[in-house]
Order: sequence, then structure tokens, then C-alpha cells
Amino acid sequence: MKLAMSSLLIVSIMMLAGCVEKEVIDDVNIAMGLGYDLEGDEVLGTAMIPVYKAESIENFIFSSKGKISRELIFRMRHKSGQPIVTGSLEIAFFGDKLAKKGIVAFIDAFQRDPSIGSRVYLAVVDGTAQEVLKGSYGNRGNADYFSGLFQHNEEQGNLPLTNIHQFLFDYYQQGQDPFLPLLKKRKDLVEITGLAVFKDQNMVEVVTADEMFYFKLINDKFSRGTVRTEIDSDEVIVRNIRSQHKMELSGRNPWEFTVHITVNGTIQEYSGKFMGPKEVKKVQKALEKQIEEESLKLITRMQEYKVDPFGFGHFAKTRTRGFDFKKWKSDYPNAKFEVKANVIIKEVGIVE
Amino acid sequence: MREKIEERFQISPFLALYAIVSMQIGIGVLGFQRIISMEAGYDAWISVLLSGISIHAIVWMMYKICETAEGDAVTANLFAYGSMIGKGVSFLFILYFIILSVAILRGYIEVIQVWVFPELSVWGFAAVFLVLVIYIIYGGFRTVVGIAFFGLVLPAYLLLVFGFAFRYSDFTNLLPILDHTPIQLLKSSFHMSLTYMGFEVLLFIYPYIKKPEQSKKWVHFGVIITTVFYTAIAVITFAYFSEKLLQKSIWATLDMWKIVNMPFVERFEYIGIANWVLIILPNVCLCIWSASRIMKQIFPLRQRKAVIIIAIVCLIIVGLLDTRQQVNMFMDLTGKIGFILNYLYVPFLFVSVLIARKVKKK
Amino acid sequence: MGNFFKRTTKPKLKDKQTPGAKEKQSSSQSLSSENWETALSKSNDFKKMHYISQKSGRPFTIVFISSLVDDSIINEFILPGLLTGNFDEAADVKKLVPAADVQLSSDPKDIETKLLSGYVMLTVGENTNELVFIAAKKQINRSISPPEVEFSVIGPKEAFVESIDQNLYLIRKRLPIKELVVENLQVGKLSKTHIAILYIDHLVDRTNVQTVVQRIKDIEFDEISDSSYIVQMISDNENSPFPQLLDSERPDRISAVLAEGKVAILVDGSPHALVGPTTLAEFYSSFEDYYLNWLISVFFRLIRFFSVIFSLLVTPVYVAVLSYHYELIPKDLLGTLITSRRVVPFPPILEALILELTIELLREAGARLPTKVGQTIGIVGGIVIGTASVEAGLTSNVLLIIIALAALASFTTPIYRMGNTIRLLRFPFLLMAELWGLVGILIGFAFLLTHLLRLTSLGRPYLEPMYPPRISDFRDAIVRLSFKKQSKRPQFLRTENTTRFSKKKGEQKKDIDE
Repeated sequence: MKLAMSSLLIVSIMMLAGCVEKEVIDDVNIAMGLGYDLEGDEVLGTAMIPVYKAESIENFIFSSKGKISRELIFRMRHKSGQPIVTGSLEIAFFGDKLAKKGIVAFIDAFQRDPSIGSRVYLAVVDGTAQEVLKGSYGNRGNADYFSGLFQHNEEQGNLPLTNIHQFLFDYYQQGQDPFLPLLKKRKDLVEITGLAVFKDQNMVEVVTADEMFYFKLINDKFSRGTVRTEIDSDEVIVRNIRSQHKMELSGRNPWEFTVHITVNGTIQEYSGKFMGPKEVKKVQKALEKQIEEESLKLITRMQEYKVDPFGFGHFAKTRTRGFDFKKWKSDYPNAKFEVKANVIIKEVGIVE
Repeated sequence: MREKIEERFQISPFLALYAIVSMQIGIGVLGFQRIISMEAGYDAWISVLLSGISIHAIVWMMYKICETAEGDAVTANLFAYGSMIGKGVSFLFILYFIILSVAILRGYIEVIQVWVFPELSVWGFAAVFLVLVIYIIYGGFRTVVGIAFFGLVLPAYLLLVFGFAFRYSDFTNLLPILDHTPIQLLKSSFHMSLTYMGFEVLLFIYPYIKKPEQSKKWVHFGVIITTVFYTAIAVITFAYFSEKLLQKSIWATLDMWKIVNMPFVERFEYIGIANWVLIILPNVCLCIWSASRIMKQIFPLRQRKAVIIIAIVCLIIVGLLDTRQQVNMFMDLTGKIGFILNYLYVPFLFVSVLIARKVKKK
Repeated sequence: MGNFFKRTTKPKLKDKQTPGAKEKQSSSQSLSSENWETALSKSNDFKKMHYISQKSGRPFTIVFISSLVDDSIINEFILPGLLTGNFDEAADVKKLVPAADVQLSSDPKDIETKLLSGYVMLTVGENTNELVFIAAKKQINRSISPPEVEFSVIGPKEAFVESIDQNLYLIRKRLPIKELVVENLQVGKLSKTHIAILYIDHLVDRTNVQTVVQRIKDIEFDEISDSSYIVQMISDNENSPFPQLLDSERPDRISAVLAEGKVAILVDGSPHALVGPTTLAEFYSSFEDYYLNWLISVFFRLIRFFSVIFSLLVTPVYVAVLSYHYELIPKDLLGTLITSRRVVPFPPILEALILELTIELLREAGARLPTKVGQTIGIVGGIVIGTASVEAGLTSNVLLIIIALAALASFTTPIYRMGNTIRLLRFPFLLMAELWGLVGILIGFAFLLTHLLRLTSLGRPYLEPMYPPRISDFRDAIVRLSFKKQSKRPQFLRTENTTRFSKKKGEQKKDIDE
């Protein structure tokens, strides 16, 4: 009897207390990509929604204009047959015009929304985000294409580790500036053309695709990638299997930094005839020199723009008690840098 | 008052560890990092260690109190202050445990509302939860400790999940070490001690431990576990967030889970939040159990009835807390009362009991 | 709620009654006060025959119930001796009748019971105070057959049958020791069912035996058909869906658990013996585990535990995730799920309930029909209904796979009774999932956990060795370690003798090449 009473009690409480809003997967439009472009005063928002067909995934686009992120989605809902939800967001693109004006208001909306994950890929588009999202890239859907594009380039290619968390981490880290990948639409496909470097929340400079290798070496804890070098006018392609970098504070007035880079590589392609121990040594020397020069060039260029994507400011802070960031701001342009590279070629492939 | 609890209702000494640790780990884990780093920045992990160490002293005093009074804190109060004041002070503990369980429960509902179900009915969820708590407490103290045991062991796998954060963490964030003043560290320790709160149930579960002498080492070991646990979480969090980013993150632990990505689960924080039911369940159970046990001792009331009365009071208070501000204020208040009880009242009682013993011996 | 300890706290005052007194009391309980002869003579199988001994010329009478008595015993052993032998009074009969069980009695109360349990009553002359009872029980038994419910590929192929004597024989021959005690009790106002309580003396914890004896004596019921009646009647908590005594049809299993220090209950007329105290983990150990290498049996046991959890939670999780937490689904899977659900008109909960009920329907229909037809139903149901409902767009094929797997997983439970419990528990979980998604499932799980924590088997914790945590008992619970490691009896049984064998001998280590 007691049992019946108590179960009745529980059931009735549940009936009364129940009812929370459902989001049944096939009754919502799951936005997997969002794009933002500046159009006049307003922002043109684009939502990329996959439509699952039996054989393939098709792409559907909603767009609307407004001032801020949530307003855009709110307005898109006026047009859609099912509510648009952003919980499975994979990518968010910003047109370059908007990126120059500032994007943190939009990213703040992502950050505030608990349903958006920390692995969302952000990128700046050379052109408009809408045209990139509008395309159709393969049977497996655009979301899959884009996240694959970023993922494998991060893991094996020259793209540094990037996602919304990384961006926010850099943005909020004192003495460090964020960056995002830069995309451009080329005919049917989208290409990573470089990196957009931000000062605060505004995009100020671009790192080209060729420089990305060096950028990644200095930026990521461990990095991989592929680089081209020359010995005696023969071309060599070296694949970086695992590299590490270490920063060293060598002087405080003015600030002097030494970046030590160790690259473990294998030779993937060689246009010359024979790759013996002598040639390997040559490759190592040539690559070391190339890395030192190019990296230093990259660092000083960033210094000229007064941006610090590698976090030298943060590094200086970790080595200094009572670090003054205001002073650092004025000191940074005068800081001195040195790059020391150490290349170890481990393998030359299965032929000599 | 020195009734002996029958052995078949008592727990083995090592189970006291689970009761204490599960009491200390609760809703606080989800967001303590931001609060402690407000004062001491990324040196706050030192404060975590500091306040962890201070707990050992309090635990030591608690054992002394109980040993001298040969019973729980209610007995000790009566022993030290006599019937009237003793009962009055014990009554305050009932209120404290009610407030504490409300704070825990409402805090958890707040998390669910923000992260999962914004429309979740506060009192509805609380009612179901409290029915569950009553069901557990009706099973006796062994069942309560059983829940504490499973509430610690089953969700332990969540620790592994923090491993995903390593790829995105930068441990140089913690450098330079000791870049803050001792005052800042102490203030941060004070904030941390609120997260550690809950071990005061030891004062009340003492008579239910078989051979309490043996349980000492387990309880101290449990406090070490909690300290290590919180320190580790703090360090990982500090590495994962840059300092200003952490200041924006109210539930840093949940934010960290957002990075988790497994082949079959894309987002982990929903699973984590759901699992948190098992972590806060022993908290609320032990609180309400302690409150009802005190009630039984100072009023002529059966514990069965006491539990129901307390649950209803809790339900009413939970229902009254409506907005985030109210919840935060309530939790702050609870923390402060808890601090007073643990760090001021317990030493006071300790001294009083010692004096009372001297006086009575003469 | 709240009546969990009722049984254990019942005053044990009644215990003072001696078993004999109880038996007499129950045998004198009859529906009417009619004389036994008038009552029995209404039946056609009641026989009363008068003879005269050829030698001494003494008239004698035999009374028996023909359907209970073996004719050949009367014809070959009783009558020839009596007709040709020389006797004056009842006491002499013992010399003449070559039967093992011949009893003399003068108590007319015995008549009814003895006659109804297959004795032939003999009176000499007109003296009806001197009664002789000669055992002539008809032995009609099913022959011992291989176990059907707890089938094992390796190991003995004997199972209990419906006769308590044969069952006792099966156990006794495996434990030929004087310490094996068989206590007899009789319950049931009408059925007078014989119950045997078995345990090994000086090994078992006496309180366990007392609890069992006491609870069985306290049973008030008219007709007891099977041991499953007893399980339900003497359980610690009758309102729990979990069986609190293990039932087994394998004599090898029963003798093994007796050796561990448990108490077994045999019920006449039932091919299932009961064992207590038991734990949740024991329900997931098949006895075949002991016939396989320990590594393999650990693997199988873990699979079984996994399948319980899987079978219990997979459909609720499906409902929860699809209704509330789409964020959780990896994007590769999202396409599969959405495509499969696209044409389904029902919300996930309804879809799941429909399919779950279909599976239960198939199972129930299969169980009620004769074996051959049952198989057909299974095939028809599985293939035709499943495929058709997916094609018609009533259910999604992903869910169909999930539910079929869940059903399959629930059948891996070695003890049939427990499998049923798991299937029932899925429904409350489904409702919780529908209510609050994953949070709801966890709340449901907490309720289940609490229920299991509160549950006891003969007063012993049901969740042991998980809680109270006893590391040493894990060696034969969720895993089964090698026999070498099993030198101690389970702790929770609190046996009087905890050592099974000397560990030293068992663990002698040899050096290389010795």
C-alpha cells in the first residue's frame, strides 16, 4: 500500500513537473555552419544546414540581415519550417571586411551559448562568407568537407592548431594576439590561403601559405608539416614529423628572445640523383638556415604590425615577477629576436 | 544521551573516507576555479593546498571533540554547555544542514537550467530529487554511505575526461609562481575553503563508525585525496584557460568538457552534468540525514518524520530561490555560515569540551 | 517503501515450537471434522481389504489408496508373507514383511497422513489400536534429464526433477559427508508440500539457516506448487522485482554453493532448488563459468555485465539523445540517424515503446506456444514485422537494430528470473528519459541503485561485494579468478570455517626448470 502510494506520488510529481522543451533531431534544422559578412551598416548572416537525403547530403542556406548574432538567427527562424538550432555547429566564417571591423561580439555569442562546443572552427574568408558556404563540396556534406579540411591540415599539414577555444585563449591571454585561418573560394573548392592575424579583435595582417610552416613551428607545442628547400639547385621536400620549439629570454633591456626550434624530418622528394649522407647533411644545413631566416622575417614582420601571435609578451611575463603589460606594449617594437634551428633528417625514404 | 548504535547499522572505518570525500566534492567542482583565481590569480592552486592542509587540523579537532564527548556533536554540545544551550546550538546545525542541502540542490538545478533545460521546473525537479533522498535515508545510514560510495566510484571515470584538455593547455600560464602577496593567497584560501565544505558531517556520523579510532587515518587520507583532486583540477584549468578567459567562465569545468571529442560522443558536458546527479546526491543525503538525526536527538521525534519535515522545508526554500542573483547570494551566505561553523565554532567547541571535561573530572 | 526490514525484525519467538509439534498441528488441520474413513471412502481409489492368514487363521485388514500405492509391493512382499506367515498381533508383522519402512503406531491421528503419503495400513483382528504402516509408495518419476534453462555445453548434464528424493540423491552423491544436513519441513494447508533445507554443518552461518527455517515455518498458504512460490514468500522484500534467492536446476551448482556455505532449499514437486543468501553478481554467473578456464570465464562474465547495462540503458539513451541532446551525436552519425528517422511520424519515445512492446509480444507469444510453433513465431516476428515496419516508415531501422540488440543482450542473463527483471526495468527508464533526457536516466539509475542498496538476501547485502566493498570477494563475483585464488569462502556469508583449502599448497611456486 505504501509502495503504491509513494509510486503514485512520484508519478504525479513527474507529470506536473515534466515537460521540458524537446529538440527531436529530425524536427529541427541543425545549423552546422554560420557565416557573417559586413553589408553596409548591417551584418548579413548565413546559416548552412545539411539536408540529409538517402544518398547524399545536400546543402541548404538561410540568410538574414541584422546587427548582432542572435538577432540573425532569430530572423532566420522567421523563414524556416523548423527551428534553427546551433548545437552542432562545426564552422563559423567571417568575411574579411567584418574581420577588419571586429568579430568578438559574434564570438561572445558563441561563448555565451552553452550548446556550442569548443571545437568549432573559425576562419576568415577572403571575400564573403556566404559565397563559401553556398557552394556544394561533395556528397558527404559541406560540414564534413570543412571540418575535414581544417582537421587534416592541422594534423599533417602546415595549419597551426586552431578552433574557437584556441582563438579565445589567445584573445584573452595578455601578451598574445589571436589568429585565424584565411580561406578563399576557388571555383568549386575552398583553399586555405594563409592566416589572418588579429590585433585585439581586428584582423590586421595576413600570413601567406608559404609562411604558415614557420608560423606553426613557433606557435604550436608540437608541429608537423611539409617544407621545400634547395641544395645545389636541386629541390628537396622535407616532411616534418615532429618538431618542438623552446623560447628563451636572453635579455631584459631591451627584451631579447631566442627561439630554439628542433625539427625531426624525413625526405619525401628529391629532384637530384643521389641522396647520400653528404647530401643529407647539406639538406640539414640548408633547411636550418632557411628556417632561421624565414622565421625571423616572420617574427619581425609581426613586430612591425605590433601584433604578437606567438605570445612573446606572455612568455616574458612567465619569466618576470610583477610584469607590466603596459610597458611591454611600448617595448615590444624594440625587442630583439633570434632563431636557432636544429634539423635532424631521420629517414630518406626507401631508396637512397 | 550516550546511546550506542547497534553494530549492524554501523559502517566500516574505511567507508568514512567515502562519506567525507563525497561530501567535499560536490557542486563546487564545476566552477570553483574562477572564484579562487579572482584574488590570487594563477597562484591560487597554492591556496587550494593551503586550505586543504587547514582541514586536517579541523578534522583532528572534530575527532577530539567526539572522543571526549563519546558521541556526536549534539552530545558534545550538551556535554559542554548543558541541556538548554546545547540543544539550541545543535538546532543551529539543523538549520545549517538545511541551508547547505538547499544550496547544493538549487545550485545543481541552476546548472541544468543554464546548460540543458532552461524550462526545467525548479520545484518539480527538487521534489523528485527529495523523494529519492527520502527513499535513500529510509534505508538507514548504511544505504546513505552506500550512495556516497557509489557517488564517488561511479563518476570517477569523469577524471579521465580532463585528459582531453591537455592538448590545448599551456602550463606556462602558471608561471611565475608566487607572483601574489600572502594576503591575496589567504583570501583565495578562504574562497577555496567554501568549496571544501561538507566534512563537518563527520561530527554527526562519528557514532556510526565502527572503531572510530581506525577511521582517523582514512578520513585524513580522504582529505588528502580531495586536496590533490582539487589542486589537480585547478592546475589543469589554469593551463587550459588564459587568465582573463577564466574570469568569464562561470562553470570552468563544464567549459573544459566542451573540448572533449570521442568517436561516439561529440560533446561531453551533457553527460557530465547528468552524471553530476550521482555526485550531489550523497551531499544532499548526508546533509538531510545529519539534520534529521540531530532533530531526533533534540526533539522527541522519530527520524522518519524528521526526514520528511526537513525535506518539505528544503523544497519550500528551493522553490523560493528564483533568479541567478538570489541563488548566488544564497550560496555565498551558506559558504560564510559554513566557514564560521568549521573554522570558528569547531575550535570553540573543542576548547569548551576540554574545559568541560576538566571541570567535570573535579 | 518502509517495509523492507519487516521480515527480519519479526520476533523469533515462534521458533520455540519444536518442528514435530508444528507438523502435528498442521496435519490435524483439516477442512472438516469428518472421520477419515467416511471421508476417504467417497473416493474410488480407497481400498479396504479383509484377509485371513492361512497359518494362524487370524483375520487382518489392509487399507490403502490404490493410486498412491505400488500394487506389486502389496502382491509380492506384503500379502505373501502375511498369508503364509504365523503371527498373533501387529508387532509380529515386522518379521514377516520384507520391507525397510514398517512402522508401528497406536495413534489414530497418523492414519490420514500416512495413508495419503503412500503407506499401507494393516490391522490385525479386531484390534484397531495397534496399527502397522508399511511403506509402499508408488514411484512414478520423470527420469533425470539434461538441464534446459541453465544449459551448459561442458559439464554435467543432470538436472533436478520433480521428486525431492531423487533431487536429494543428486546432491548427496556429490557431497558424501556426514556434515550435510537435510532438515525437513512441511508447508501448505492443502498441498502439504515437503521442503528440505540443506546446509553443511560447521560451515554455514547458523543465523542463515535459522532465518530460512523461520521464514518457511511462517508461511501461511494452502497450496504450494513450486519453489517459485517459496521464493516470493520468503524474500526480504516482496515488492522488489529482483529475485532475492537464486534458483537453479543444476545439482552441481547447488552442491558447489553448499560448499561455499550457503543454504539450499528443495521443494517437493519442483525441479528448481533455491539458494540463499545470494548477491546480484551471482545471478550473472553461469555455472559453466567454472568449467572454463578462468580467463575465458572472466571475459564472458564481463560481457554479461556489459550486456545488462546495455540492454537496460540503450533504448532510454536513444530516446534521451534524440529528443533532447542532439548536440551529443557525432556529425557522421547524425546523418544516419536523421535519414532513418526522416519518414517516421512518431516521436522517439513512442517509436521506442512500440518496438519494445512488439519484442515483448513476440517473446510472450513464443513462450506460450509449443516449441515448434514458437520458433516460427520468432522468425515471423523478427523478420517480417521488423522489415515491414521499417519499410512502412513506422519505425526507424537504427532503433530496430538497437532494440533487437537490447533484447538479445537481455537474454544473456543466465538466470531466467533476472532476465525478466531487466526487461521490466527498461520501461521506467524509458519514461525517465522522455521526461528529463539524460538527467532523467541518471535519476532513474539513482533510484535503482538505492533500491539495490536497500535490498537484502536473508539479511545479507544484495550488492556485495560492490557495496559494502569487499575486495577479496571480487574473486568470484564480477570476475572469476583461478581456482588457486579461491582459497577462502565468500566473506559476506560469514561462514564458520572460512578456508576452502590450504593456500600454501595451492600457491607453491616453482623456480624455472624445477
